[in-house]
Amino acid sequence: MTYFTIILPLALRNLRRQIRRTALTASAMIIGGALLIFTLSFGDGAHEQWIDSGVRQDSGHITIERPNFRITRKIEDRLPEQIRLTAEQAIETLRSTGYIDTASSKLTVLGLASSPAGARPVQIIGVDPVSEALFTTLDDLTIEGRYLESTDTLAAFVGIGLMRSLDLEIGSRLVLTAQDTTNEIAGQLVRVTGAFETGVEAADQSLVHIPINTANDWLTANNAVTNIGILVEPSHVAPQISSQLQQILGASLSMRDVAVMNWKEAMPELASAVMIDDFGAYVVNGLLLIVIAFGIINTVLMSVLHRHREFGVLQALGLTPKQTSAIVLSEGLVLTTVSGVLGIVISISLSRYFLGDGIDLSALVPEGSEISGTTIDPVVIPMFRTARIVQSFGWILVIGLISSIYPAVRASRIDITESMKFDR
Amino acid sequence: MSDQPIAVKTEALSKIFSQEAETVQAVRNVSLTIEQGEFTALAGPSGSGKTTLLNLIGGLTQPSDGRVWVADQELNTLSHKALSQLRLHQLGFIFQAYNLLPVLTAKENAEFPMLLQGIDATERSQRVTKLFQQTGMTGLENRKPGKLSGGQQQRVAVIRAVASRPALVLADEPTANLDSTASAALLDMMDKLNQDLGITFVFATHDSRVMERSKRLIHMTDGAVESDVSRT
Repeated sequence: MTYFTIILPLALRNLRRQIRRTALTASAMIIGGALLIFTLSFGDGAHEQWIDSGVRQDSGHITIERPNFRITRKIEDRLPEQIRLTAEQAIETLRSTGYIDTASSKLTVLGLASSPAGARPVQIIGVDPVSEALFTTLDDLTIEGRYLESTDTLAAFVGIGLMRSLDLEIGSRLVLTAQDTTNEIAGQLVRVTGAFETGVEAADQSLVHIPINTANDWLTANNAVTNIGILVEPSHVAPQISSQLQQILGASLSMRDVAVMNWKEAMPELASAVMIDDFGAYVVNGLLLIVIAFGIINTVLMSVLHRHREFGVLQALGLTPKQTSAIVLSEGLVLTTVSGVLGIVISISLSRYFLGDGIDLSALVPEGSEISGTTIDPVVIPMFRTARIVQSFGWILVIGLISSIYPAVRASRIDITESMKFDR
Repeated sequence: MSDQPIAVKTEALSKIFSQEAETVQAVRNVSLTIEQGEFTALAGPSGSGKTTLLNLIGGLTQPSDGRVWVADQELNTLSHKALSQLRLHQLGFIFQAYNLLPVLTAKENAEFPMLLQGIDATERSQRVTKLFQQTGMTGLENRKPGKLSGGQQQRVAVIRAVASRPALVLADEPTANLDSTASAALLDMMDKLNQDLGITFVFATHDSRVMERSKRLIHMTDGAVESDVSRT
């Protein structure tokens, strides 16, 4: 009760009394807080793009496949029918969570693409054109022709690098060769419907999409799939959904027959790149928080030193040393809380207003830049996550509290009679 | 000695201040007893130890030697919190330099100890309003200390010290910044509180008007009690 009737009002009035000093420190803290939120949201936005780009070009935020498939990429490591059906049912069940954006079943094998101009090793992915169009970003990167359609049969969507290497054009014939389910080498003639350019040489040289029905017929796979990719929204729920899928599948299947991996497990290089970038951001933000802390210490300590006499009077009148320190702590916390909230609001508002369409870093990021085989989009859209904002605000409050402790202890330990000798 | 309860007792009280190589004995071996309801003045030249003795009695500074009892409690056995509680509930201070809180209005300053004591707003307001009337301060309640003259600030400081009706008021040169009329009014008010409520007053003063009004005059020289005269 004493806190709200005496301590907090005194703290607020003291802040108001030194309004210029309060405003200056608050301004520094608002700018610091805004920068903190901006750098974190910028980093999160960039990472989300890396992850999105990576998972869409690869196997999704979550992939269900045989344990060896990621290494072998062979048809013999396709999902058994029972597992496939159980997995597809589990995905349907989990759609009720609202986190599953889309899922795409694929038949992926390593093979050879050849034309009269030569042959190239390729990764052939049999896809359902409709669900894959929602899954992949390759259709958005079409530079010639078009992506696969549901009515396509003997069609192929290839990288521009492969197209050039094999001297292909839209409509050109291409022979794909791979090992089928009977361990025989089988060939399939397809025609090029379109070409994409990711900017990543490996992808542009080796990725080929064909309709999954064509792949099944060619490889005598009997409607089999090698992997099921799932996209979730937002991406940070991937481990949670992955764990739920493991529980559902684990109840009916031996986990030795099937692996459910989130993108961090499936693409450890990308996960490491995000982690390293995050670490760099934490170091910079840590330095920013230290600067904010010194701002608070400076203001609150100066305020305490100038008010020795006042604290002496308060204690002479009956305020305990603890209550005296509570006044100082409250001043620091109020200053921090208000500045933190304003910093966050300003950061989000300005970013949304000026940077809603993203920050174009084309001048800094060369075309075709990649991280762990993932194309970097030079336009970064800052991403404001509630958990991140709450976490940052929490850090600002902790810094405010810690920074106010020393001045508060100073205020509580004053010598009352000595403090009375201070000039006002 | 009468049957009155004892408000303050000191026993062989001494205070030595040390600064670098120099030591100053501000209070020397002072033993005295002040009964409840006394109106006592500590007189003496500057540096005679009056203010230090008041600070020792108020628990604002620790003695170098000797003991102090206030309201039957020995001060150097009390914790910080207990000492704060004693100051809050038993003592009122009037400082020479007013020492009002600059962020509070005159009325809020006067009410502050009562607010700490948990006295309700109506009671606080009634007591303070009456004292503002008695000291000619009506109309100045909402001014901050910076907008009051020295005399007005001193009156607010006196109101703050007495409004919570402490058992003992320790006043350091309470009339130092007041003209004769204001001094007389203030002394009248304190005299009345002494008579009506039995509040004990101990003044440290140079002011002959205060000495004349006191019922006991303790004269100090070089930190020691030189004379102690009770008057009826």
